[in-house]
Amino acid sequence: MKSIVLNQVGVEVVADGTAGSKVLLSGISLTLTEQRVGVIGANGSGKSTLLRLLNGLMEPSTGKVTVKGKDTVRDVRSVRREVGFVFTDPLSQLVMPTGREDVELSLRRSIRNPHERRRTAESTLERFGLLPLADQSIYELSGGERQLLALATVLAVAPSVLVLDEPSTLLDLRNRELLRRTIAGLEQQVVMSTHDLDLVQDMDRVLVVDDGRIVFDGAPSAAVVHYRQLCAASLPPLPTPAVEEVRKPLEAHLGEYR
Amino acid sequence: MSSSNFLLVNYVPGASPIHRAPLWLKFLGVFACGLASFLIVDWAVSAGALALMCALFLVSGAGVRRLFRAVRPVLPVLLVIGLFQWWQLGAPTAGRIVLNILVCIVAASLLTATTPIQRLLDGVVSSARPFQRFGADPERFALTIAIMLRSIPYIAGAYSEVRDSARARGLERNPRARILPVIITTVAFARQTGDALAARGLGEADD
Repeated sequence: MKSIVLNQVGVEVVADGTAGSKVLLSGISLTLTEQRVGVIGANGSGKSTLLRLLNGLMEPSTGKVTVKGKDTVRDVRSVRREVGFVFTDPLSQLVMPTGREDVELSLRRSIRNPHERRRTAESTLERFGLLPLADQSIYELSGGERQLLALATVLAVAPSVLVLDEPSTLLDLRNRELLRRTIAGLEQQVVMSTHDLDLVQDMDRVLVVDDGRIVFDGAPSAAVVHYRQLCAASLPPLPTPAVEEVRKPLEAHLGEYR
Repeated sequence: MSSSNFLLVNYVPGASPIHRAPLWLKFLGVFACGLASFLIVDWAVSAGALALMCALFLVSGAGVRRLFRAVRPVLPVLLVIGLFQWWQLGAPTAGRIVLNILVCIVAASLLTATTPIQRLLDGVVSSARPFQRFGADPERFALTIAIMLRSIPYIAGAYSEVRDSARARGLERNPRARILPVIITTVAFARQTGDALAARGLGEADD
């Protein structure tokens, strides 16, 4: 059993200030078997909701989500051991003051022996080139180092699926490239939402989400074209530039002298 | 959020006698300081206890600056408490109360400055193990301490950012502009932390 399956999934939440509910996702049916899956779409389109379903952080209102055959509601604890989740802002994910301590925190459940836990934490940090920064405060790390550390804390417990929610949003070009290379080298199945259309090109399959629905599902290049068209169609018409406002009367006025 | 060392000092690597002291002794020391704050009735004894704790802090090699940074944030609060107690109960009592609080803060900072957090958490887990028979999960005790240590500097940082932003808008005298965003940020932080812990499977009971 190697796939993530969403069967007729819908998510509704109680909307603040109104009597009704708000539909975040509806009618989503997917089987994700590819090693690299990208999710793109506008802000508020439902990308994060879709990803949160995979780790059981959000429960579907209708339908069912399974990861490797395990129901994300009924077997949520087991699912969370399979599915690692990386948030956009690493500071909301890192709990301990330093990287070493945070990786060790991830390992507390699986490794009881403190010495063995320390060794495993160090080898995890070394794998990501973070060992020299292991004892630095997480506040003193750069954005890229923090995001790599967040990734390391999740991968320390060896999940088989990695879900990343816009991991490159807060990163500069260099750190984005670093993250891209790191993700490319992972053996885990990766499901990642992003606004970085370069990063999407590395994916095997890309989903375009709009208004809580999957409106395109296919190869990266075609998905990006579809997304661009969607964005262009949703933009309001440009306001008439001020120069246009005066050009016509001015030309008419000048015409009298020609 | 920039404040990473607020109220409790982060671990400072070292080989001082306090670093090498067994964890149970350090726990006992902090517990004794807490207990003493109820039992000491003479301000001179409180001053002596504070001098002793400060001396131990300096012996640990954590330094005067860290000691001052740990104490500085509570000084305005202690000033208010001290003035109120002076008015209500007189100077000796006010001095004793303020000094006793400082003793507790310095003792707790000494513990966190000389003990790696993972060792501290292992100690908490060991101490909480007897409660397992009543259904308590020792790992949750440890996680609670870890989150507390993480949350204090975060919320302090939030307060500092909100204060700066209120200043920038000329609202530094408006309590609503200074307090409400901190409450909202704190609630959002609690929710994010909850999500992050849930996503990492931390805080769940063993199978």
